[in-house]
Amino acid sequence: MINTRHRIEFDPDKCAGCQLCYKSCFVDVIRWDAANRKPVFQYVEDCEHCFYCQSVCRRDAIRVIPDYESEHLLQSFPQYH
Amino acid sequence: MEYKTERCDVLVIGGGIAGLSCAVSVKEQCPELDVLVAEKNFAGYSGKANRGGGVLQYFDPERIDPWEFVKFHAEKIGAYLGDQELMAEYVAMNKGMLDKLTSWGAVLPKREDGSYRVFPTGPMTAMIATDLDITLNIRKTAEKLGVRFVDKTALIDLLTDDGGVTGAAVFSILDGTPMVIRAGETVLATGSQNYRIGSMWGSGRGDGIAAAYRAGAKLRNVEFGNFAQLARVRSHNEVVYGENVMYNAKNEHITKNFMKERETDIPSTAIREWFTQIREGNGPVRVDYGPPPPPPPKAENAPPSPPPKPRYGDRFRKLNHEAAAAVDQDMEVAPLFIGEQSPIAVDHLMKTSLPGLHAIGDCSYCGSGVAGAVPAPPGRNRGSGILNAVFSALKCAEGIAAGAAEISVRGYDEAQAQAAFARITALLERKSSVTAKQVTALVQQAMAPVEQSVWMHEERMKKAMDYVDQAEALLPEMSAKDTHGVMECFEAEAMVLSAKLHYKASEMRKESRGWFLREDYPETDNKHWHKWIAVEKRNGEMVFSLEEIPPERFPAPDME
Repeated sequence: MINTRHRIEFDPDKCAGCQLCYKSCFVDVIRWDAANRKPVFQYVEDCEHCFYCQSVCRRDAIRVIPDYESEHLLQSFPQYH
Repeated sequence: MEYKTERCDVLVIGGGIAGLSCAVSVKEQCPELDVLVAEKNFAGYSGKANRGGGVLQYFDPERIDPWEFVKFHAEKIGAYLGDQELMAEYVAMNKGMLDKLTSWGAVLPKREDGSYRVFPTGPMTAMIATDLDITLNIRKTAEKLGVRFVDKTALIDLLTDDGGVTGAAVFSILDGTPMVIRAGETVLATGSQNYRIGSMWGSGRGDGIAAAYRAGAKLRNVEFGNFAQLARVRSHNEVVYGENVMYNAKNEHITKNFMKERETDIPSTAIREWFTQIREGNGPVRVDYGPPPPPPPKAENAPPSPPPKPRYGDRFRKLNHEAAAAVDQDMEVAPLFIGEQSPIAVDHLMKTSLPGLHAIGDCSYCGSGVAGAVPAPPGRNRGSGILNAVFSALKCAEGIAAGAAEISVRGYDEAQAQAAFARITALLERKSSVTAKQVTALVQQAMAPVEQSVWMHEERMKKAMDYVDQAEALLPEMSAKDTHGVMECFEAEAMVLSAKLHYKASEMRKESRGWFLREDYPETDNKHWHKWIAVEKRNGEMVFSLEEIPPERFPAPDME
């Protein structure tokens, strides 16, 4: 999907700095801020809402909020475009 | 431009299940070889095996002769366009592959007697559930064996010397650092082309396929990269086996219109039926599985069963399910285009047409010919996706190990490396508002509508090619604001190539066969089209040719 409007909520106070969310993203949405030992959700418009980052976070610091309306099946009928 | 250099005996590009399996297998057989895995994101977390269905195909060796399955596959799935010897080998290696995966740390459930816990899926096949940490566990095994990893590193181009591949020009997607990796043998394990449409297939962007093509490697079966599945219309989550229970707005069971007997998985005719129903005003189409079966009766005074063991993938699945359930109000469905072009041509040891270059997993599935007239894997052969990746990895490692004594790191063309790195600079320095996403959107308009890409017709393919041409015309204007954008530009370029290959070869194949469906040529034409379409870049031109299918134990009906 491109140009999606999924959101990712992040609570830095809960984050343990383990990097698992950063490593688990298979489409380079998440980068790592080494100085602060925190993830940076830099390319959220490329998120595929796979929930992997949220599911590996042991501190519940991440919440992926998909906006399914912003994803498109791109079929030729207006209701399925 | 200055760049870093690395050197290894075996370079594996792509750290999904195929790449990791190959790296481990090479290292197990030849511990003295220096094996390096370069991965665009993080090996072990990348690819699809850790986000997919988590199932492995199983054949009972006591019950199934490999050739029995080959016959079934040729008749019902591959439509006599497959390499039957290779398919027989895949089936024969089934138990060995499962044991290998277990020895590499994959958790495959077993019964008390030590046999695998399987559940039947058809007269010949069964499945084993596997957990989603399968690739993470194989990475750990690889690290223990001494395999080296460079993560967040993307392929730009393969490097060649006298026509053979001698490594790759890559760059860090974090900061753009360019690097030449010199290698004795190079293995592409970069996945298929999925055009960034389906969510789970988000990482299959075809850049390895495009690099192989640019280097001069032969591709094959490019027209079988047009898989589509029925999906819920709000969450776009796939409905498995929904093709058996499709109903239109008049509550007619429309599955009867295209399916005479139950099939192994969704046929392309289900996609055609959906399109026809909507076009004729009979939509929406929904699937209705009927009431769930009653739970099995419990024996009186039976002790309560212990709760199932928690699994690594439980939370991942729960989060996905809950989010989709919040928006899916009914079972209305529409096609989700997935693609799965996997065309790098390889022999039985996964060697490409270029010396020193191998291709495994989803970048060479159709190119190996094992599939026949069907995309993917699983390619209407459920549970075969992961195992085909492992199969091709083991075959590739077997070939590399056999020639290990002769592996040597050769030279490369400095100008070629500089040209590859100059592509990064050009994208970053170009003053233009054309983005990779604009190009990708045009390719998606060519590929996603199923009456263009799945139920094809010459006129509709022309419309699709117009979009591809528009996308191609924008390529020289593309620009990127950072290295993530550079990566997207390379991927967009690969998508344009894949789409172009798809429509050019599909226009050539004037018949319908297996998954491949043309409205203007509805019959299978064994006389003219019992052939593979191959394509390669020669002197800058896209040159197509026809290849004979390897000898078949089970020939196509009117070829006998």
